[in-house]
Amino acid sequence: MMPAGDRTKKGLIVTGVLFMVLFVIGITGIGGSNVLRYGFRILLYITIGEMWNLLSGYAGLTSLGQQAFIGLSGYALAVATTKYGLFYPLGIVAGLVISLGAAFVLSFLLLRIEGMYFSITTWVVAEALGTLFMSLMYVNRGAGMTVSAEPYPRIGTLYLMALVLCFASMITMILLPGSEFGLGVRAMRDDVQAAESLGVNVKRSRRIIYLVAAGFTALAGSLFFLNKGTIYPESGFDIGWTISMVFIVIIGGSGTVAGPVAGAVIYVFLSEILAHYPGWSNMILGAIAILMILFCPQGVIPAIGAAVRNSAKRRRKGSDGCRELDY
Amino acid sequence: MKQDAAVFDNVEAGYGNVRILNGLSFRVAEGEVFGVIGPNGCGKTTMLNALSGMIRPSKGMISCFGKELNRLEAYERCRLGIGRTWQIPRPFAGMSVYENTLAAAVHGAGRKNLLRDRRSGRKESDTALKALEETGLAEKKDMPSGELTLLDRKRLEVARAMASEPRLLLLDEVAAGLTEAETTQITDLVAGLKEKHYTVIWIEHNIETMMKATDRLMCMSEGRNVLTGDPAEVMASETVERLYLGADDE
Repeated sequence: MMPAGDRTKKGLIVTGVLFMVLFVIGITGIGGSNVLRYGFRILLYITIGEMWNLLSGYAGLTSLGQQAFIGLSGYALAVATTKYGLFYPLGIVAGLVISLGAAFVLSFLLLRIEGMYFSITTWVVAEALGTLFMSLMYVNRGAGMTVSAEPYPRIGTLYLMALVLCFASMITMILLPGSEFGLGVRAMRDDVQAAESLGVNVKRSRRIIYLVAAGFTALAGSLFFLNKGTIYPESGFDIGWTISMVFIVIIGGSGTVAGPVAGAVIYVFLSEILAHYPGWSNMILGAIAILMILFCPQGVIPAIGAAVRNSAKRRRKGSDGCRELDY
Repeated sequence: MKQDAAVFDNVEAGYGNVRILNGLSFRVAEGEVFGVIGPNGCGKTTMLNALSGMIRPSKGMISCFGKELNRLEAYERCRLGIGRTWQIPRPFAGMSVYENTLAAAVHGAGRKNLLRDRRSGRKESDTALKALEETGLAEKKDMPSGELTLLDRKRLEVARAMASEPRLLLLDEVAAGLTEAETTQITDLVAGLKEKHYTVIWIEHNIETMMKATDRLMCMSEGRNVLTGDPAEVMASETVERLYLGADDE
Protein backbone atom coordinates (compact mmCIF):
# COMPACT_ATOMS: atom_id res chain seq x y z
CA MET A 1 0.00 0.00 0.00
CA MET A 2 1.52 3.32 -1.11
CA PRO A 3 1.87 5.75 1.84
CA ALA A 4 -0.62 8.66 1.80
CA GLY A 5 2.25 11.18 1.54
CA ASP A 6 3.60 9.58 -1.67
CA ARG A 7 0.11 9.34 -3.17
CA THR A 8 -0.48 13.02 -2.38
CA LYS A 9 2.81 14.09 -4.02
CA LYS A 10 2.15 11.98 -7.12
CA GLY A 11 -1.42 13.29 -7.36
CA LEU A 12 -0.31 16.92 -7.03
CA ILE A 13 2.37 16.54 -9.71
CA VAL A 14 0.00 14.87 -12.20
CA THR A 15 -2.72 17.45 -11.48
CA GLY A 16 -0.25 20.33 -11.75
CA VAL A 17 0.99 19.17 -15.17
CA LEU A 18 -2.58 18.64 -16.40
CA PHE A 19 -3.54 22.09 -15.13
CA MET A 20 -0.67 23.72 -17.02
CA VAL A 21 -1.60 21.94 -20.29
CA LEU A 22 -5.29 22.87 -19.97
CA PHE A 23 -4.35 26.42 -18.94
CA VAL A 24 -2.27 26.85 -22.09
CA ILE A 25 -5.22 25.56 -24.18
CA GLY A 26 -7.47 28.13 -22.47
CA ILE A 27 -5.07 31.05 -22.91
CA THR A 28 -4.14 30.32 -26.53
CA GLY A 29 -7.55 29.01 -27.61
CA ILE A 30 -5.94 26.08 -29.50
CA GLY A 31 -8.69 24.05 -31.15
CA GLY A 32 -11.16 26.90 -31.26
CA SER A 33 -14.29 27.74 -29.29
CA ASN A 34 -15.77 24.23 -29.57
CA VAL A 35 -12.85 22.74 -27.64
CA LEU A 36 -13.27 25.43 -24.98
CA ARG A 37 -17.04 24.86 -24.84
CA TYR A 38 -16.62 21.10 -24.35
CA GLY A 39 -13.77 21.72 -21.95
CA PHE A 40 -15.90 24.13 -19.93
CA ARG A 41 -18.69 21.54 -19.56
CA ILE A 42 -16.30 18.72 -18.70
CA LEU A 43 -14.53 20.84 -16.07
CA LEU A 44 -17.84 21.76 -14.40
CA TYR A 45 -18.99 18.14 -14.38
CA ILE A 46 -15.64 17.03 -12.94
CA THR A 47 -16.13 19.58 -10.14
CA ILE A 48 -19.64 18.45 -9.20
CA GLY A 49 -18.60 14.80 -9.64
CA GLU A 50 -15.61 15.24 -7.31
CA MET A 51 -17.85 16.88 -4.73
CA TRP A 52 -20.46 14.14 -4.91
CA ASN A 53 -17.58 11.68 -4.59
CA LEU A 54 -16.44 13.56 -1.47
CA LEU A 55 -19.92 13.37 0.00
CA SER A 56 -20.78 9.80 -0.87
CA GLY A 57 -17.41 8.13 -1.43
CA TYR A 58 -15.64 9.61 1.60
CA ALA A 59 -18.30 10.68 4.11
CA GLY A 60 -21.01 8.13 3.33
CA LEU A 61 -23.50 10.96 2.69
CA THR A 62 -25.38 9.86 -0.42
CA SER A 63 -27.12 13.12 -1.22
CA LEU A 64 -29.75 13.23 -3.95
CA GLY A 65 -30.30 16.96 -3.43
CA GLN A 66 -27.10 18.69 -4.55
CA GLN A 67 -29.13 20.45 -7.25
CA ALA A 68 -30.46 22.65 -4.42
CA PHE A 69 -27.11 24.49 -4.37
CA ILE A 70 -26.92 24.69 -8.17
CA GLY A 71 -30.38 26.27 -8.27
CA LEU A 72 -29.74 28.63 -5.35
CA SER A 73 -26.43 29.88 -6.76
CA GLY A 74 -27.89 30.24 -10.26
CA TYR A 75 -30.79 32.31 -8.97
CA ALA A 76 -28.50 34.37 -6.71
CA LEU A 77 -26.38 35.21 -9.77
CA ALA A 78 -29.49 36.11 -11.82
CA VAL A 79 -30.97 38.29 -9.05
CA ALA A 80 -27.65 40.01 -8.32
CA THR A 81 -26.93 40.85 -11.96
CA THR A 82 -30.48 41.52 -13.23
CA LYS A 83 -32.28 43.08 -10.26
CA TYR A 84 -29.33 44.87 -8.65
CA GLY A 85 -27.11 45.37 -11.69
CA LEU A 86 -24.07 43.96 -9.91
CA PHE A 87 -20.91 42.88 -11.72
CA TYR A 88 -21.20 39.10 -12.27
CA PRO A 89 -18.27 38.06 -10.00
CA LEU A 90 -20.25 39.60 -7.13
CA GLY A 91 -23.23 37.52 -8.22
CA ILE A 92 -21.06 34.40 -8.07
CA VAL A 93 -19.92 35.35 -4.55
CA ALA A 94 -23.56 35.98 -3.56
CA GLY A 95 -24.48 32.51 -4.86
CA LEU A 96 -21.66 30.97 -2.85
CA VAL A 97 -22.62 32.79 0.36
CA ILE A 98 -26.34 31.96 0.03
CA SER A 99 -25.64 28.30 -0.75
CA LEU A 100 -23.22 27.96 2.16
CA GLY A 101 -25.77 29.64 4.47
CA ALA A 102 -28.50 27.29 3.28
CA ALA A 103 -26.19 24.26 3.61
CA PHE A 104 -25.22 25.30 7.13
CA VAL A 105 -28.85 25.62 8.24
CA LEU A 106 -29.92 22.44 6.42
CA SER A 107 -27.01 20.47 7.89
CA PHE A 108 -28.59 20.67 11.35
CA LEU A 109 -31.67 18.87 9.99
CA LEU A 110 -30.13 16.58 7.38
CA LEU A 111 -27.07 15.31 9.25
CA ARG A 112 -29.30 13.89 11.99
CA ILE A 113 -30.72 11.50 9.41
CA GLU A 114 -28.90 8.35 8.36
CA GLY A 115 -28.61 6.29 5.17
CA MET A 116 -31.50 6.05 2.75
CA TYR A 117 -33.58 8.52 4.78
CA PHE A 118 -30.82 11.12 4.37
CA SER A 119 -30.82 10.59 0.60
CA ILE A 120 -34.60 10.93 0.32
CA THR A 121 -34.74 13.99 2.58
CA THR A 122 -32.06 15.82 0.58
CA TRP A 123 -34.08 15.15 -2.59
CA VAL A 124 -37.30 16.35 -0.94
CA VAL A 125 -35.58 19.56 0.25
CA ALA A 126 -34.31 20.30 -3.29
CA GLU A 127 -37.75 19.60 -4.76
CA ALA A 128 -39.34 21.89 -2.15
CA LEU A 129 -36.92 24.67 -3.08
CA GLY A 130 -37.78 24.19 -6.76
CA THR A 131 -41.50 24.43 -5.94
CA LEU A 132 -40.87 27.52 -3.81
CA PHE A 133 -39.01 29.28 -6.64
CA MET A 134 -41.81 28.27 -9.02
CA SER A 135 -44.25 30.29 -6.92
CA LEU A 136 -42.04 33.27 -5.92
CA MET A 137 -42.96 36.44 -7.79
CA TYR A 138 -39.58 37.94 -6.80
CA VAL A 139 -37.89 35.50 -9.20
CA ASN A 140 -40.61 35.68 -11.90
CA ARG A 141 -42.15 32.38 -10.78
CA GLY A 142 -41.87 29.67 -13.44
CA ALA A 143 -41.05 32.23 -16.18
CA GLY A 144 -37.43 32.18 -15.08
CA MET A 145 -34.77 34.88 -15.00
CA THR A 146 -32.02 36.20 -17.22
CA VAL A 147 -28.42 36.53 -16.11
CA SER A 148 -27.42 40.05 -17.19
CA ALA A 149 -23.66 39.88 -17.14
CA GLU A 150 -22.14 43.08 -18.49
CA PRO A 151 -19.61 42.73 -20.03
CA TYR A 152 -20.57 39.16 -20.92
CA PRO A 153 -17.62 36.81 -20.34
CA ARG A 154 -16.19 35.09 -23.40
CA ILE A 155 -15.99 31.29 -23.54
CA GLY A 156 -12.23 31.48 -22.94
CA THR A 157 -12.80 33.38 -19.68
CA LEU A 158 -15.53 30.96 -18.59
CA TYR A 159 -13.25 28.03 -19.43
CA LEU A 160 -10.42 29.46 -17.32
CA MET A 161 -12.78 30.11 -14.37
CA ALA A 162 -14.08 26.52 -14.63
CA LEU A 163 -10.49 25.26 -14.86
CA VAL A 164 -9.48 27.02 -11.63
CA LEU A 165 -12.62 25.76 -9.86
CA CYS A 166 -12.14 22.22 -11.10
CA PHE A 167 -8.52 22.08 -10.03
CA ALA A 168 -9.33 23.58 -6.65
CA SER A 169 -11.84 20.76 -6.16
CA MET A 170 -9.30 18.14 -7.29
CA ILE A 171 -6.56 19.52 -5.04
CA THR A 172 -9.02 19.44 -2.13
CA MET A 173 -9.64 15.77 -2.89
CA ILE A 174 -5.92 15.00 -3.26
CA LEU A 175 -4.92 16.73 -0.02
CA LEU A 176 -7.82 15.35 1.98
CA PRO A 177 -6.72 11.72 2.56
CA GLY A 178 -3.27 12.64 3.90
CA SER A 179 -4.48 15.41 6.23
CA GLU A 180 -5.41 14.96 9.89
CA PHE A 181 -9.00 15.78 9.03
CA GLY A 182 -8.93 13.38 6.09
CA LEU A 183 -7.58 10.58 8.26
CA GLY A 184 -10.68 10.90 10.43
CA VAL A 185 -12.93 11.08 7.37
CA ARG A 186 -11.40 7.92 5.89
CA ALA A 187 -11.82 6.15 9.23
CA MET A 188 -15.43 7.36 9.32
CA ARG A 189 -15.97 6.08 5.75
CA ASP A 190 -14.86 2.58 6.76
CA ASP A 191 -16.66 2.40 10.12
CA VAL A 192 -18.54 5.29 11.71
CA GLN A 193 -18.87 3.80 15.21
CA ALA A 194 -15.27 2.60 15.40
CA ALA A 195 -14.07 6.02 14.23
CA GLU A 196 -16.19 7.80 16.82
CA SER A 197 -14.91 5.51 19.57
CA LEU A 198 -11.35 6.57 18.62
CA GLY A 199 -12.04 10.28 18.97
CA VAL A 200 -13.27 11.27 15.49
CA ASN A 201 -15.93 13.96 15.76
CA VAL A 202 -18.22 12.47 13.13
CA LYS A 203 -20.91 15.18 13.24
CA ARG A 204 -18.40 18.00 12.79
CA SER A 205 -16.52 16.17 10.03
CA ARG A 206 -19.75 15.48 8.14
CA ARG A 207 -20.83 19.12 8.48
CA ILE A 208 -17.51 20.40 7.09
CA ILE A 209 -17.73 18.00 4.14
CA TYR A 210 -21.35 18.90 3.46
CA LEU A 211 -20.42 22.62 3.42
CA VAL A 212 -17.35 22.13 1.19
CA ALA A 213 -19.40 20.07 -1.30
CA ALA A 214 -22.20 22.66 -1.26
CA GLY A 215 -19.72 25.49 -1.86
CA PHE A 216 -17.98 23.92 -4.87
CA THR A 217 -21.29 22.72 -6.34
CA ALA A 218 -22.72 26.24 -5.97
CA LEU A 219 -19.74 27.80 -7.76
CA ALA A 220 -20.11 25.27 -10.59
CA GLY A 221 -23.84 26.12 -10.76
CA SER A 222 -23.08 29.86 -11.01
CA LEU A 223 -20.63 29.31 -13.88
CA PHE A 224 -23.08 27.04 -15.67
CA PHE A 225 -25.89 29.63 -15.58
CA LEU A 226 -23.48 32.46 -16.34
CA ASN A 227 -22.74 30.62 -19.57
CA LYS A 228 -26.36 29.67 -20.22
CA GLY A 229 -27.75 33.15 -19.57
CA THR A 230 -31.15 32.06 -18.24
CA ILE A 231 -32.41 30.05 -15.29
CA TYR A 232 -35.78 28.38 -14.61
CA PRO A 233 -36.83 26.46 -11.46
CA GLU A 234 -36.96 23.22 -13.45
CA SER A 235 -33.42 23.71 -14.81
CA GLY A 236 -31.84 24.97 -11.57
CA PHE A 237 -33.38 22.43 -9.22
CA ASP A 238 -33.49 19.55 -11.70
CA ILE A 239 -32.81 16.08 -10.22
CA GLY A 240 -30.93 15.49 -13.49
CA TRP A 241 -27.97 17.31 -11.92
CA THR A 242 -27.66 14.70 -9.19
CA ILE A 243 -28.27 11.88 -11.68
CA SER A 244 -25.29 13.15 -13.69
CA MET A 245 -23.12 13.34 -10.53
CA VAL A 246 -24.05 9.77 -9.57
CA PHE A 247 -23.41 8.55 -13.14
CA ILE A 248 -20.02 10.26 -13.26
CA VAL A 249 -18.89 8.71 -9.98
CA ILE A 250 -20.25 5.22 -10.79
CA ILE A 251 -18.65 5.17 -14.24
CA GLY A 252 -15.34 6.73 -13.17
CA GLY A 253 -14.95 5.09 -9.76
CA SER A 254 -15.94 6.10 -6.26
CA GLY A 255 -13.36 7.13 -3.66
CA THR A 256 -10.71 8.11 -6.24
CA VAL A 257 -9.73 11.57 -7.54
CA ALA A 258 -9.25 10.40 -11.13
CA GLY A 259 -12.58 8.54 -11.19
CA PRO A 260 -14.84 11.60 -11.62
CA VAL A 261 -12.43 13.01 -14.24
CA ALA A 262 -12.89 9.91 -16.43
CA GLY A 263 -16.60 9.78 -15.55
CA ALA A 264 -17.17 13.43 -16.54
CA VAL A 265 -15.40 13.03 -19.89
CA ILE A 266 -17.46 9.92 -20.68
CA TYR A 267 -20.68 11.59 -19.46
CA VAL A 268 -20.26 14.78 -21.51
CA PHE A 269 -19.46 12.94 -24.75
CA LEU A 270 -22.22 10.36 -24.19
CA SER A 271 -24.82 13.03 -23.44
CA GLU A 272 -23.68 14.94 -26.53
CA ILE A 273 -24.23 11.85 -28.72
CA LEU A 274 -27.48 10.94 -26.98
CA ALA A 275 -28.84 14.47 -27.43
CA HIS A 276 -29.79 13.31 -30.93
CA TYR A 277 -32.11 10.70 -29.39
CA PRO A 278 -34.41 12.67 -27.07
CA GLY A 279 -36.48 10.45 -24.79
CA TRP A 280 -33.93 7.62 -25.07
CA SER A 281 -30.94 9.41 -23.59
CA ASN A 282 -31.78 8.92 -19.88
CA MET A 283 -32.77 5.29 -20.49
CA ILE A 284 -29.46 4.59 -22.23
CA LEU A 285 -27.45 6.39 -19.53
CA GLY A 286 -29.36 4.40 -16.88
CA ALA A 287 -28.70 1.12 -18.70
CA ILE A 288 -24.98 1.92 -18.94
CA ALA A 289 -24.86 2.72 -15.21
CA ILE A 290 -26.62 -0.59 -14.38
CA LEU A 291 -24.23 -2.55 -16.60
CA MET A 292 -21.27 -0.85 -14.92
CA ILE A 293 -22.62 -1.69 -11.44
CA LEU A 294 -23.10 -5.33 -12.51
CA PHE A 295 -19.87 -5.94 -14.38
CA CYS A 296 -17.41 -3.27 -13.21
CA PRO A 297 -18.72 -2.01 -9.85
CA GLN A 298 -15.43 -0.34 -8.90
CA GLY A 299 -15.56 1.99 -11.94
CA VAL A 300 -13.28 2.57 -14.92
CA ILE A 301 -10.23 4.06 -13.18
CA PRO A 302 -9.88 1.46 -10.37
CA ALA A 303 -10.50 -1.31 -12.96
CA ILE A 304 -7.70 0.04 -15.20
CA GLY A 305 -5.43 0.35 -12.14
CA ALA A 306 -6.12 -3.28 -11.16
CA ALA A 307 -5.53 -4.48 -14.73
CA VAL A 308 -2.19 -2.65 -14.91
CA ARG A 309 -1.10 -4.10 -11.53
CA ASN A 310 -2.12 -7.64 -12.58
CA SER A 311 -0.28 -7.33 -15.87
CA ALA A 312 2.87 -6.12 -14.05
CA LYS A 313 2.59 -9.08 -11.66
CA ARG A 314 2.25 -11.50 -14.58
CA ARG A 315 5.28 -9.93 -16.28
CA ARG A 316 7.32 -10.32 -13.07
CA LYS A 317 6.26 -13.96 -12.74
CA GLY A 318 7.13 -14.55 -16.40
CA SER A 319 10.62 -13.09 -16.04
CA ASP A 320 11.20 -15.15 -12.84
CA GLY A 321 10.25 -18.25 -14.83
CA CYS A 322 12.82 -17.39 -17.52
CA ARG A 323 15.49 -17.00 -14.87
CA GLU A 324 14.67 -20.46 -13.54
CA LEU A 325 15.06 -21.93 -17.02
CA ASP A 326 18.43 -20.21 -17.39
CA TYR A 327 19.70 -22.00 -14.34
CA MET B 1 -6.75 6.87 47.95
CA LYS B 2 -7.25 5.78 44.38
CA GLN B 3 -9.99 7.33 42.27
CA ASP B 4 -12.77 5.21 40.75
CA ALA B 5 -11.96 4.69 37.07
CA ALA B 6 -15.56 3.79 36.23
CA VAL B 7 -18.82 3.83 38.15
CA PHE B 8 -22.18 2.42 37.04
CA ASP B 9 -24.95 3.51 39.38
CA ASN B 10 -28.31 1.77 38.80
CA VAL B 11 -27.95 2.04 35.03
CA GLU B 12 -30.75 1.05 32.68
CA ALA B 13 -30.00 0.97 28.93
CA GLY B 14 -30.82 -0.97 25.78
CA TYR B 15 -31.63 -0.73 22.10
CA GLY B 16 -34.94 0.88 21.11
CA ASN B 17 -37.64 -0.57 23.35
CA VAL B 18 -35.53 -3.56 24.39
CA ARG B 19 -33.96 -2.95 27.80
CA ILE B 20 -30.77 -4.93 28.36
CA LEU B 21 -29.19 -3.33 31.44
CA ASN B 22 -31.59 -3.46 34.41
CA GLY B 23 -30.18 -1.36 37.21
CA LEU B 24 -26.54 -2.32 36.74
CA SER B 25 -24.21 -1.03 39.46
CA PHE B 26 -20.47 -1.57 39.97
CA ARG B 27 -17.22 0.30 40.51
CA VAL B 28 -13.81 -0.20 38.93
CA ALA B 29 -10.77 1.14 40.79
CA GLU B 30 -7.97 2.92 38.94
CA GLY B 31 -5.22 0.56 37.84
CA GLU B 32 -7.14 -2.70 38.17
CA VAL B 33 -7.97 -5.27 35.53
CA PHE B 34 -11.67 -5.87 35.99
CA GLY B 35 -13.08 -8.96 34.33
CA VAL B 36 -16.74 -9.35 33.34
CA ILE B 37 -18.35 -12.72 32.71
CA GLY B 38 -21.90 -13.87 32.21
CA PRO B 39 -24.09 -15.95 29.91
CA ASN B 40 -24.86 -14.83 26.36
CA GLY B 41 -27.27 -11.91 26.24
CA CYS B 42 -26.65 -10.85 29.84
CA GLY B 43 -25.60 -7.34 28.75
CA LYS B 44 -21.79 -7.42 28.86
CA THR B 45 -21.26 -5.76 25.48
CA THR B 46 -24.22 -3.43 26.13
CA MET B 47 -22.40 -2.30 29.29
CA LEU B 48 -19.31 -1.46 27.20
CA ASN B 49 -21.49 0.30 24.64
CA ALA B 50 -23.06 2.42 27.39
CA LEU B 51 -19.64 3.25 28.81
CA SER B 52 -18.06 4.13 25.45
CA GLY B 53 -21.05 6.23 24.34
CA MET B 54 -22.50 4.02 21.62
CA ILE B 55 -25.81 4.03 23.51
CA ARG B 56 -27.17 6.37 26.20
CA PRO B 57 -28.63 5.11 29.48
CA SER B 58 -32.34 5.77 30.03
CA LYS B 59 -31.83 5.79 33.79
CA GLY B 60 -28.96 5.89 36.26
CA MET B 61 -25.52 7.45 36.06
CA ILE B 62 -22.22 6.43 34.47
CA SER B 63 -19.04 8.23 35.43
CA CYS B 64 -15.39 7.89 34.58
CA PHE B 65 -12.57 9.34 36.70
CA GLY B 66 -15.11 11.48 38.54
CA LYS B 67 -16.73 12.92 35.39
CA GLU B 68 -20.34 12.12 34.56
CA LEU B 69 -20.56 10.62 31.07
CA ASN B 70 -24.29 10.42 30.33
CA ARG B 71 -24.39 13.53 28.12
CA LEU B 72 -21.03 13.08 26.43
CA GLU B 73 -20.68 11.91 22.81
CA ALA B 74 -18.56 8.83 22.05
CA TYR B 75 -15.65 10.90 20.66
CA GLU B 76 -15.63 13.09 23.80
CA ARG B 77 -15.44 9.99 25.97
CA CYS B 78 -12.46 8.80 23.93
CA ARG B 79 -10.71 12.13 24.46
CA LEU B 80 -11.56 11.86 28.18
CA GLY B 81 -9.55 8.66 28.27
CA ILE B 82 -11.80 5.74 27.34
CA GLY B 83 -10.47 3.43 24.63
CA ARG B 84 -12.29 0.36 23.42
CA THR B 85 -11.98 -2.71 21.23
CA TRP B 86 -14.78 -4.54 19.42
CA GLN B 87 -15.85 -8.14 19.79
CA ILE B 88 -15.68 -8.61 16.00
CA PRO B 89 -12.62 -6.62 14.86
CA ARG B 90 -13.53 -3.50 12.92
CA PRO B 91 -10.34 -2.33 11.19
CA PHE B 92 -10.54 0.63 8.83
CA ALA B 93 -10.09 -1.70 5.87
CA GLY B 94 -9.21 1.01 3.36
CA MET B 95 -6.25 2.12 5.47
CA SER B 96 -2.88 0.59 6.35
CA VAL B 97 -2.20 -0.83 9.82
CA TYR B 98 -0.17 2.29 10.69
CA GLU B 99 -2.88 4.65 9.43
CA ASN B 100 -5.40 2.83 11.65
CA THR B 101 -3.39 3.64 14.77
CA LEU B 102 -2.44 7.09 13.48
CA ALA B 103 -6.15 8.00 13.16
CA ALA B 104 -6.60 7.09 16.83
CA ALA B 105 -3.45 8.97 17.85
CA VAL B 106 -4.44 12.10 15.91
CA HIS B 107 -8.12 12.24 16.86
CA GLY B 108 -8.08 10.63 20.29
CA ALA B 109 -4.71 11.18 21.90
CA GLY B 110 -3.75 14.11 19.68
CA ARG B 111 -6.78 16.24 20.46
CA LYS B 112 -6.59 15.39 24.14
CA ASN B 113 -2.92 16.16 24.57
CA LEU B 114 -2.42 18.92 22.04
CA LEU B 115 -0.90 21.42 24.48
CA ARG B 116 1.32 18.86 26.21
CA ASP B 117 2.56 17.51 22.88
CA ARG B 118 3.43 20.96 21.57
CA ARG B 119 5.53 21.61 24.66
CA SER B 120 7.33 18.28 24.51
CA GLY B 121 7.65 18.22 20.71
CA ARG B 122 6.12 14.76 20.63
CA LYS B 123 4.29 13.69 17.52
CA GLU B 124 1.18 11.57 16.99
CA SER B 125 3.19 9.35 14.64
CA ASP B 126 5.38 8.34 17.62
CA THR B 127 2.29 7.42 19.61
CA ALA B 128 0.93 5.36 16.71
CA LEU B 129 4.23 3.52 16.16
CA LYS B 130 4.67 2.87 19.89
CA ALA B 131 1.23 1.24 20.05
CA LEU B 132 2.17 -0.98 17.09
CA GLU B 133 5.47 -1.97 18.71
CA GLU B 134 3.79 -2.81 22.00
CA THR B 135 1.27 -5.06 20.30
CA GLY B 136 3.77 -6.75 17.99
CA LEU B 137 2.47 -5.21 14.78
CA ALA B 138 5.36 -2.88 13.95
CA GLU B 139 6.62 -5.09 11.12
CA LYS B 140 3.19 -5.12 9.50
CA LYS B 141 2.59 -1.39 9.70
CA ASP B 142 2.41 -0.85 5.94
CA MET B 143 0.05 -3.77 5.28
CA PRO B 144 -3.58 -3.04 4.34
CA SER B 145 -5.45 -3.69 7.59
CA GLY B 146 -8.10 -5.69 5.74
CA GLU B 147 -5.47 -8.35 4.93
CA LEU B 148 -4.50 -9.11 8.55
CA THR B 149 -5.14 -12.49 10.20
CA LEU B 150 -7.72 -12.70 13.00
CA LEU B 151 -5.03 -12.59 15.71
CA ASP B 152 -3.42 -9.55 14.12
CA ARG B 153 -6.81 -7.88 13.73
CA LYS B 154 -7.39 -8.41 17.45
CA ARG B 155 -3.93 -6.96 18.11
CA LEU B 156 -4.77 -4.01 15.90
CA GLU B 157 -7.95 -3.43 17.92
CA VAL B 158 -5.82 -3.19 21.07
CA ALA B 159 -3.14 -1.10 19.31
CA ARG B 160 -5.70 1.37 18.03
CA ALA B 161 -7.29 1.74 21.44
CA MET B 162 -3.83 2.18 23.01
CA ALA B 163 -2.89 4.81 20.41
CA SER B 164 -5.78 6.94 21.66
CA GLU B 165 -3.86 6.98 24.99
CA PRO B 166 -6.69 5.81 27.22
CA ARG B 167 -6.71 5.70 31.00
CA LEU B 168 -9.50 3.15 30.88
CA LEU B 169 -9.32 0.40 28.27
CA LEU B 170 -12.43 -1.63 27.39
CA LEU B 171 -11.69 -5.04 25.87
CA ASP B 172 -14.58 -6.92 24.31
CA GLU B 173 -13.74 -10.62 23.93
CA VAL B 174 -10.27 -10.09 22.50
CA ALA B 175 -9.55 -13.83 22.76
CA ALA B 176 -12.76 -14.99 21.05
CA GLY B 177 -12.21 -17.15 17.97
CA LEU B 178 -8.47 -17.58 18.58
CA THR B 179 -6.54 -20.84 18.86
CA GLU B 180 -5.07 -21.82 22.25
CA ALA B 181 -1.62 -20.55 21.28
CA GLU B 182 -3.07 -17.29 20.00
CA THR B 183 -5.18 -16.91 23.16
CA THR B 184 -1.98 -17.19 25.24
CA GLN B 185 -0.38 -14.44 23.16
CA ILE B 186 -3.36 -12.10 23.56
CA THR B 187 -3.61 -12.88 27.31
CA ASP B 188 0.05 -11.97 27.71
CA LEU B 189 -0.70 -8.74 25.88
CA VAL B 190 -3.52 -7.90 28.32
CA ALA B 191 -1.35 -8.90 31.31
CA GLY B 192 1.25 -6.46 29.96
CA LEU B 193 -1.34 -3.68 29.99
CA LYS B 194 -1.64 -3.95 33.76
CA GLU B 195 2.10 -3.43 34.11
CA LYS B 196 1.73 -0.31 31.99
CA HIS B 197 -0.81 1.00 34.55
CA TYR B 198 -3.87 0.90 32.34
CA THR B 199 -7.22 0.34 34.00
CA VAL B 200 -8.93 -2.42 32.04
CA ILE B 201 -12.50 -3.68 31.85
CA TRP B 202 -12.31 -7.00 30.09
CA ILE B 203 -15.19 -9.09 28.81
CA GLU B 204 -14.35 -12.68 27.98
CA HIS B 205 -16.08 -16.04 27.66
CA ASN B 206 -12.91 -18.00 28.30
CA ILE B 207 -12.87 -18.28 32.10
CA GLU B 208 -9.32 -19.66 32.30
CA THR B 209 -8.03 -16.69 30.37
CA MET B 210 -9.84 -14.31 32.70
CA MET B 211 -8.58 -16.01 35.87
CA LYS B 212 -4.95 -15.46 34.81
CA ALA B 213 -5.02 -11.74 34.29
CA THR B 214 -7.87 -10.11 36.27
CA ASP B 215 -7.79 -8.54 39.72
CA ARG B 216 -11.53 -8.75 40.27
CA LEU B 217 -14.34 -10.44 38.44
CA MET B 218 -17.97 -9.44 38.00
CA CYS B 219 -20.60 -11.95 36.97
CA MET B 220 -23.60 -10.44 35.16
CA SER B 221 -27.03 -11.89 34.55
CA GLU B 222 -30.08 -10.25 32.95
CA GLY B 223 -28.40 -6.87 32.93
CA ARG B 224 -27.49 -6.90 36.60
CA ASN B 225 -24.38 -7.39 38.70
CA VAL B 226 -24.87 -10.78 40.37
CA LEU B 227 -21.55 -11.02 42.15
CA THR B 228 -18.26 -9.12 42.17
CA GLY B 229 -15.05 -10.05 43.94
CA ASP B 230 -11.84 -12.04 43.83
CA PRO B 231 -11.84 -14.16 40.62
CA ALA B 232 -11.36 -17.45 42.49
CA GLU B 233 -14.15 -16.64 44.95
CA VAL B 234 -16.54 -15.57 42.20
CA MET B 235 -15.89 -18.74 40.24
CA ALA B 236 -16.37 -20.85 43.36
CA SER B 237 -19.75 -19.26 44.07
CA GLU B 238 -22.78 -21.55 43.64
CA THR B 239 -24.84 -18.69 42.20
CA VAL B 240 -22.28 -18.08 39.47
CA GLU B 241 -21.92 -21.78 38.78
CA ARG B 242 -25.68 -22.12 38.39
CA LEU B 243 -26.07 -19.00 36.29
CA TYR B 244 -23.02 -19.06 34.13
CA LEU B 245 -21.96 -22.68 33.91
CA GLY B 246 -25.47 -24.18 34.00
CA ALA B 247 -24.75 -26.69 36.82
CA ASP B 248 -27.39 -29.38 37.43
CA ASP B 249 -29.72 -28.88 40.39
CA GLU B 250 -29.82 -32.21 42.11
